Amino acid sequence: MFKLPKAVCVASLVGALAFSVGQSAHAGEKFGFGETATPEQIAGWDIDIRPDGKGLPKGQGSVADGEAVYEQLCATCHGLFGEGEGRWPVLAGGQDTLTDDRPVKTVGSYWPYASTLFDYIRRAMPFTAPRSLTDEQTYQLTAYVLYLNEIVDEEFVLTDENLAAIEMPNQEGFFVDTRPDVKNARCMKDCADPAKLVVTGTLQGITPVGHFIEGADAPAASHEAQEELEREKEHQRKAASGHEGAAQAATEAPAPLSDAALAGQSVYNNACQACHNSGIAGSPKFGDASAWAPRIKQGMDVLMGHAINGFSGESGIMPPKGGRVDLSDQQVKDAVAYMVESSK
Amino acid sequence: MSRIIKGSGTRELLAQLAAESEHLSTRDRRDFLKKGIMAVGGMASAVTAGNAVANTSNLPPMEPQWGKMLGHGVVEYPYGQPSKFESHVVRRTVPWLTAESISSISMSPLQDLKGIITPNGLVFERYHAGVPQINPDEHRLMIHGLVERPIIFTMEDLMRFPSVSEIKFIECPANGGMEWKGAQMEALQFTHGMLSCCEWTGVPLRVLLDEVGVKPEGKWILAEGADGSHMSRSIPLEKALDDTIVVYAQNGEMLRPEQGYPLRLINPGWEGNTSIKWLRRLEIGDKPWYHREETSKYTDLMPDGKARKFSFVQETNSVITSPCPEHPIVRKGFLEIEGIAWSGRGRIKQVDISFDGGVTWKPANLKGLVLSKALTRFSFVTKWDGQPWLLQSRAIDETGYVQPTLKQLREARGGNSIYHKNSIHTWSVAANGEVKNVQIT
Repeated sequence: MFKLPKAVCVASLVGALAFSVGQSAHAGEKFGFGETATPEQIAGWDIDIRPDGKGLPKGQGSVADGEAVYEQLCATCHGLFGEGEGRWPVLAGGQDTLTDDRPVKTVGSYWPYASTLFDYIRRAMPFTAPRSLTDEQTYQLTAYVLYLNEIVDEEFVLTDENLAAIEMPNQEGFFVDTRPDVKNARCMKDCADPAKLVVTGTLQGITPVGHFIEGADAPAASHEAQEELEREKEHQRKAASGHEGAAQAATEAPAPLSDAALAGQSVYNNACQACHNSGIAGSPKFGDASAWAPRIKQGMDVLMGHAINGFSGESGIMPPKGGRVDLSDQQVKDAVAYMVESSK
Repeated sequence: MSRIIKGSGTRELLAQLAAESEHLSTRDRRDFLKKGIMAVGGMASAVTAGNAVANTSNLPPMEPQWGKMLGHGVVEYPYGQPSKFESHVVRRTVPWLTAESISSISMSPLQDLKGIITPNGLVFERYHAGVPQINPDEHRLMIHGLVERPIIFTMEDLMRFPSVSEIKFIECPANGGMEWKGAQMEALQFTHGMLSCCEWTGVPLRVLLDEVGVKPEGKWILAEGADGSHMSRSIPLEKALDDTIVVYAQNGEMLRPEQGYPLRLINPGWEGNTSIKWLRRLEIGDKPWYHREETSKYTDLMPDGKARKFSFVQETNSVITSPCPEHPIVRKGFLEIEGIAWSGRGRIKQVDISFDGGVTWKPANLKGLVLSKALTRFSFVTKWDGQPWLLQSRAIDETGYVQPTLKQLREARGGNSIYHKNSIHTWSVAANGEVKNVQIT
């Protein structure tokens, strides 16, 4: 059991006092469960950064280098200029909008500390491959997003020495919660003038009614998209139940997947589906034959090449291996096979 | 709305639908009837539609079919599931809210829940990088920072500590947040469903803090998840010493993966986001960290452009769950109005009900368990004769805080604070029993 020096007992008095009755059979004594964490173990998991710079790894990254990394790994969702694709977060702009009817809360317009940006990129980005960036890439990306927000200039090099000194525009924009901020009274009669009650109904057309129809629960970008999805399903159902459709359905079972495609299924589920399931940033949606057909027409070699090495086309950007550089070429090929065979 | 079925024409049509569906499997039959009923009168709730037509051959004086045969035996389903006739009681999401279901939220079907406990499969979901599948043997909780002895605990270590079991609600602070500017969710599940209540079992965090020995300068704790988002929040030490629990079980069984299996934090009464799931690390520091989920998100923007930070507590709230848009009033006569109330500051002391949009109020009864920071059920038995109502509930907690009106909240906070909308909610009951979501200003 771990032996405690006297000073420790005093230091832990706060905790000991808070100990509720019945929790501790022997006041002051420790249970002694668990292993002491080694400095190496702590270093591997201690990834957090504070506004004062505590936690920053040694290193640096320039805006210029950040641009290349950003375009490869981030632009697909966040847009080339941080404007955000679809419902993905907008990173830049929005200055002086915090009192508007529709404020645009971005890194530049809202976030109080630059450390938060480094910390968040380090712990959670890119969305499809968290904890895959090097410290250098994290510095580069942080620098570039600050640049997109006109907080640093294009020559800027971000380092562990200068990050804490960066002043964000909205640093003073926060105050500690002061609730309760309203005081209602428990009035029982004549609490309001019935003649002056204004009753407003539901804004129409945004409740996802599709959820009340079985089988229609699927991500959709909007109410319209949801309705369209339902119409499409209904259309397919009708076609399938018609005479010709029924006969066809009976004879035409779906082709079995190849071994490569079967192997690629789990890769798809763990990586590719983050984008290809919803079709964000112009990516061909899984199962969408019309989106895949022109791509398949280019030949599998071209398709595999684009998937592994990355590709920038008119409809969107495919980062190399979808940003998952940890995947082997073979894993990517298998996943492509799975998507192609499932989208014919 | 078709849920109130009137007139012989409709009845005949339903009978015909029932007859035509005889050859279908039960599930298909339900679908068929549902669609048919929708065709009769527009959108119908799955529940009432499913119950609207019964096979008369199973009704008195006939002996029901299931009384003339054998059912399945033990362990045919080693882990039991709800009846197939309850398949409409599920979590639902609002697809346009978020970019991707992997980082999104779903709501509990409050309209169909009883008592105060949310069944594990129906607890609302909130993920930022999807649900990780964690092998508990390979999961560790590290506590370090300003401590005398940094410790790594295995799940086995954690379960050796004396445990507590506490019934506490958990609520996303964005619950109701879609309605700051106007009513727009025509269902209770969407207006209030980011809310659940479970019995949580685990170790009080103060016990673990005593084990590592927090240094005197330690004032804040960073909690961090093991999932792909590595969700992190700064929590004041006072809260941890008060009632924070490091939880491994809910409602009698180990946590569900979507609720943080094998380990999560529960900060009773506080915004759900602080109750970090898949908990892997607690660091003790002297200052907060100001991470993304406590700056960019989960701060409340005020009309002057300044934002509240560390707005932790979920203030007193309540809602009537029956009737509600999903469950309109179908018959005149006696009616039990039911609902739930909750407060992040303690026990519910009183709930009042108004039928006239808040002009007059009558006290409701609290029923069942009345626990601190837990859902509390209230009830009011009355008669409905087809008169229109503007139904409201207003909760008061043991601190004396009275649930505010929407007008009061808007005056204090404007319309852009997203989080912590706990105002009195209004259902408009029409003469035909239909219930609609409205706002009174």
